[in-house]
Amino acid sequence: MSEPALAIRGLAKSFDRKVVDDLDLDIAAGELYALLGPNGAGKTTTLRMVTGLTRPDAGSIHIFGIDALAEPRAAKALTAWLPDEPMLYDKLSPAEYLAFVAGLWRIPPGEAAPEAERLLKWLELWDERDQRCEGFSRGMKQKVALAGALIHRPRLLVLDEPLTGLDATMARAVKDALRAAVDAGATVVITTHILEVAERMADRIGIIAGGRLLAEGSLAQLRARAGSDDMTLEDAFIRLTSPPSATA
Amino acid sequence: MNPLIRRAAPGRFLWLVLHELRVALRARARGRGTVLAAIVLVAYFGLGLLAAVALRRVELAPGAALLTAALAATIVITSFMTTQAMLASQRTLFDGGDLDLLLSAPIAPRTVVLAKLTAIAASVVLTFAALIMPMVLPAALLGHPELLGVPALLVAMALVSACLGLAITLGVVRLAGPRAARTVGQIVAALLAGAIFLVSQVIAQHPSARRSGGLTLYEWFSAHHVGAGGIGALPGRAALGDPLAILALLGGALALFALAGYALDRGFLRSYQSGGVRLSRRAGRASSRAIARHFRAGLFATMFAKEWRLLARDPALAFQIVLRLIYLAPLVLVALGRDNGPPVAPTLAFISVVAAGQVVGSLAWIVISAEDAPDLLTAAPVTRNQAERAKLASALAMAAPIALVVPAAIAPLSPAGALVTLAFTLFGGAMAGLIELRWQKPMKRSAFLRRRSGSLLTGLLTFLVTGLAGLAAGAIVWLLT
Repeated sequence: MSEPALAIRGLAKSFDRKVVDDLDLDIAAGELYALLGPNGAGKTTTLRMVTGLTRPDAGSIHIFGIDALAEPRAAKALTAWLPDEPMLYDKLSPAEYLAFVAGLWRIPPGEAAPEAERLLKWLELWDERDQRCEGFSRGMKQKVALAGALIHRPRLLVLDEPLTGLDATMARAVKDALRAAVDAGATVVITTHILEVAERMADRIGIIAGGRLLAEGSLAQLRARAGSDDMTLEDAFIRLTSPPSATA
Repeated sequence: MNPLIRRAAPGRFLWLVLHELRVALRARARGRGTVLAAIVLVAYFGLGLLAAVALRRVELAPGAALLTAALAATIVITSFMTTQAMLASQRTLFDGGDLDLLLSAPIAPRTVVLAKLTAIAASVVLTFAALIMPMVLPAALLGHPELLGVPALLVAMALVSACLGLAITLGVVRLAGPRAARTVGQIVAALLAGAIFLVSQVIAQHPSARRSGGLTLYEWFSAHHVGAGGIGALPGRAALGDPLAILALLGGALALFALAGYALDRGFLRSYQSGGVRLSRRAGRASSRAIARHFRAGLFATMFAKEWRLLARDPALAFQIVLRLIYLAPLVLVALGRDNGPPVAPTLAFISVVAAGQVVGSLAWIVISAEDAPDLLTAAPVTRNQAERAKLASALAMAAPIALVVPAAIAPLSPAGALVTLAFTLFGGAMAGLIELRWQKPMKRSAFLRRRSGSLLTGLLTFLVTGLAGLAAGAIVWLLT
């Protein structure tokens, strides 16, 4: 069996309360994995720990076999992070932003420039490549940030609510980009509140609540776990995340 | 504040003003900065107490000299208050996230404008009361109750300043257009703040009259019999508790305030509504040059290109840094313009080191502390040290041309002195950068425009270290020349 793209063991993090509690997770290479959960379930904290933005209190994170806590640079070199608020510089143009991100990931200019051109054209940002991001809509900013996440060809793409606030056209463009990344061999971990996205796109779905993984599997497996083969993901999600008394 | 808000009628002027005050109070920095400010305030109050004891038996009669001095002080302080009001007006127009909410609510826009104007005046009063009242209040309590007119004068000045600040800001929006208004407004505000300081320093260079601008203003007023009587004497008489003068000034200020609310509300609305296009540049054609020109090899080149672009595209921010150098210009005049003044080369050496510290400190704060996308750098496969070193190198590289100017000017006088100055200038710049690196505190770029520096501690430390290095450089150059 090949090395998992992401392997999490016993991950824990507390702020003023336990946010992530003894979490185990395995995500195979080339998989699109959707992490679902109610507000405050610990999804974003988990992803921030995976990307090295938050230090775990306990546990281990391995990205393609690399210990992300012991060798963060090597792990980060394989990973891209796309939060719901795009990490952009308003005064830079998309082309300049991509050049900056490529420089951070030390992609040689000879490789990065054509890739940037390809991404900008593919995401329909080519005509705006020399305009500053400050005048862009949220959707356009999100597309620039997505291009930034893809320019160094990450093997693991971690996205936190990437579709928040996007209109249907923009959301479709982002979904297409993610599917294309998976088809090209990348692994995608995504959190979303839009269950339809998880239902249609994800190879596997994990449901997290109270910092713990409640259930995971394909849509069919989750339905079976929730006790009915014909329920929607929304029904299964509500049933699995509700306290026992609420579903009794 | 909440109980007061609950008692006020929702949506009315008073309710909105209380809401503004609540928001302003909650936005204040907390922690060590507050403790430090409280300690300074108490110490300052102690000084005021000593001064009050000394002044206890001195009669404060409203004579010509005192009234003229009060007029000069009123003009100087009002100019600073207007600067603060301008910056507050800009924040209200361009940063105020709640204007969408307030103006979409079923409240008369004029009420919103007046409430905002009142909040601006209140913030100005509080700032200047903190500066002036610790000196005035003890004297008023220890034998000079007539000085209780000073707070009333301050309120009148703040009301006028708030109106002037908003009017100038709206005028700038009208003249410069919505997109450039913020930048131009910040430059105008900085110039207004610096103007009196600069004028005072330049005037003080006159061989026959080495005195401050305020004093010069006072002497000019005295020579032209301004301020000793009539309307010009009103500030002085109000400060000394004359009820009629207080009534006249406060009444006039309130009338102006109401008039401003009436006259400026449309301009305010128009400026805010056009603010939607303020940030977007005109859509230009994409460059036909290859995209590859943006891409650099190496972390430093990448970081430098990014920091340089961000600074170059924020002229207001760049201007604030240049302004720090302008403030040092009078010292250069001291060195160059007086036969019996301090020796030229050592003074220039001192200025070079201090200026380098100021510029590098500012640039380092901008590139290190005011990073807009810290998570991007954290998620990138570079260590924090690598990123910070590259950023510090960018700041030093940006400041390098400025650091070369003064040593080049010293070179004809003393080549060895020029080398010493260059060495100490580099040392001062490096120290300023390292201080920023060590005590950095993440902040938004826009905070630089308001506070001029990241933190009081780093600012003081930078000034101390570069000042000492500057003195050492000056002493060595003096020995060499």
